Amino acid sequence: MEASITLKKVGKLIGDKTILAGLSFGIERGSLVAIVGLNDSGKSILLKLLSGYENPNYGQVFVQGLDMEKRRSETRKLIGYVSYENDLDPWLTIKQNIRFNANLYSVNNILFKERLKKYSSALDLEPYLNEYAFRVSGGIQKKAMLLRGLIHDPDILVIDEPTGYMDAESIRQTWDLIKELKGQKSIIYVSNSLTEIEQAHDRILVFHEGRIIMDGHLDKLLESTLDYHQFQVEFENLSDDLYKTLKNIPTIVSPNRMDNIFHFYGRTRTVFFDVIKVASDQMMIDLDVKKLGLRDLLDSEFAGRGLD
Amino acid sequence: MISALIKRRLWLWKNRLIPSIFFYILLPVFIFVIISLPLKNIIRFSLAETPYDIWVLPGLIFIIGSFSLYPLIYREYFELRIHRKVLVNIALTPYSKRYIIFSSLVVAGLEALFMSILGVVFYISFTSISLTISSLIFLLLCLIIYLFLLGNLYITISLIIDALTTMFLGSFMVFILILFGSGFLIEFSFFPIGFESFLKWIPLSIPLQIYHKFNSTGLIDWTSLSLLCICIYLWILMNSIILKRRLYQ
Repeated sequence: MEASITLKKVGKLIGDKTILAGLSFGIERGSLVAIVGLNDSGKSILLKLLSGYENPNYGQVFVQGLDMEKRRSETRKLIGYVSYENDLDPWLTIKQNIRFNANLYSVNNILFKERLKKYSSALDLEPYLNEYAFRVSGGIQKKAMLLRGLIHDPDILVIDEPTGYMDAESIRQTWDLIKELKGQKSIIYVSNSLTEIEQAHDRILVFHEGRIIMDGHLDKLLESTLDYHQFQVEFENLSDDLYKTLKNIPTIVSPNRMDNIFHFYGRTRTVFFDVIKVASDQMMIDLDVKKLGLRDLLDSEFAGRGLD
Repeated sequence: MISALIKRRLWLWKNRLIPSIFFYILLPVFIFVIISLPLKNIIRFSLAETPYDIWVLPGLIFIIGSFSLYPLIYREYFELRIHRKVLVNIALTPYSKRYIIFSSLVVAGLEALFMSILGVVFYISFTSISLTISSLIFLLLCLIIYLFLLGNLYITISLIIDALTTMFLGSFMVFILILFGSGFLIEFSFFPIGFESFLKWIPLSIPLQIYHKFNSTGLIDWTSLSLLCICIYLWILMNSIILKRRLYQ
């Protein structure tokens, strides 16, 4: 598939600290790409580079084959950027803020009205269009910023926390719109909501210390862990001796405890019965078995070292 | 881009119509009552024997322009850069930094010019001072050049300073320079000799000197005007570089 954005050995430094280190990857047209990582891992900086908000210290970013630094005015028309922080003009209404951007991108009146109607209806923003930006809630501001980012009909949409500050209904509306736009536009976003990422992505880039350590669809990322399950057994009293005994069961991976809860991974569900066998004379309060998800992948030692 | 910025200014005017009108009408009245009236009783004539209230009129117009221009530039390049990041959103549009600086100077300059014209109308209507058409046109031409220079200075300060307190201190120093060190209210000859020639050569004070020269001799100092235009262009270039660096672009 044709690349929408291509990074070639892109690096970013802040002072002496390397934020991004020689990144090279491409993003296919029409795909929905999620970027995840710990705080300060460089994911927001990456978004800034992709949107032209900041320039890399070295390397090149190509947008639909055009060098972003050399063909600035052409590439900027192709990108819509929605930042994490509110960047609406507080003394303009929501509609005026959006109209201002439309004017900056020379969007004619007919197209402006058409897009405003379409997207404000999808995001349920109509009642707020004539409100001052500073008077509406953070969630409404975020939706307004998303609408503003779409008003010049960019091919690429870069969003930092698409559902930041939003209530449940707004989150649903926003994801419905993003999923509808997927395919027509390349959408790259950063989010800390792993549940949302699991539900909306074609590809996930896992960031750690300025590098991509995992790249692919969730199923692919979890491929190496497909056989793994996560188990949790809550005992009435998990004594140290019992914990030691359980820990030594050979089929158990990465055991740990929290008060009376014994937590571990296992390659097959039958591992569970090994534990039950050993602890059959103990009072168990709760049992839980589940397949691994993105959170487990990131939270556990998978991110870097794997379970073993 | 210029039309987009003008429309935005009109929306902002519309959204805050009453306070805007109140302060913009008050500004020339305030400057006249607080500055011109008492000074007239201290300095009765200029050194060239012109009555002080006639001599000071262009200076007052320049001061109105200066104070009208400040909030526009401050809002765009300090407030909306530091606290709201609106400037970043504008910088992401397909325009060069140089054009962004130039456009905002044009738009802010137009508004300040409009306010200055209101000031001229006010002074001419409520005082016995009069201006010939040629004087008025040349005054406005000099004022436009001055507003571009001052706008550039305001932009530089707003871009290089990040802290509000430093911004206020820097701004107050510029205001004092405008009020007392630019020849608007006090003639340069009142300053010690060495300092006088220094102040005379500050670009901000040259437009009014060109105007006074035209008013007294009828001659237009094209050389100085051209040099000021070059200075404006270079300053816009410098500000665009600063803007680029401040936004890490």
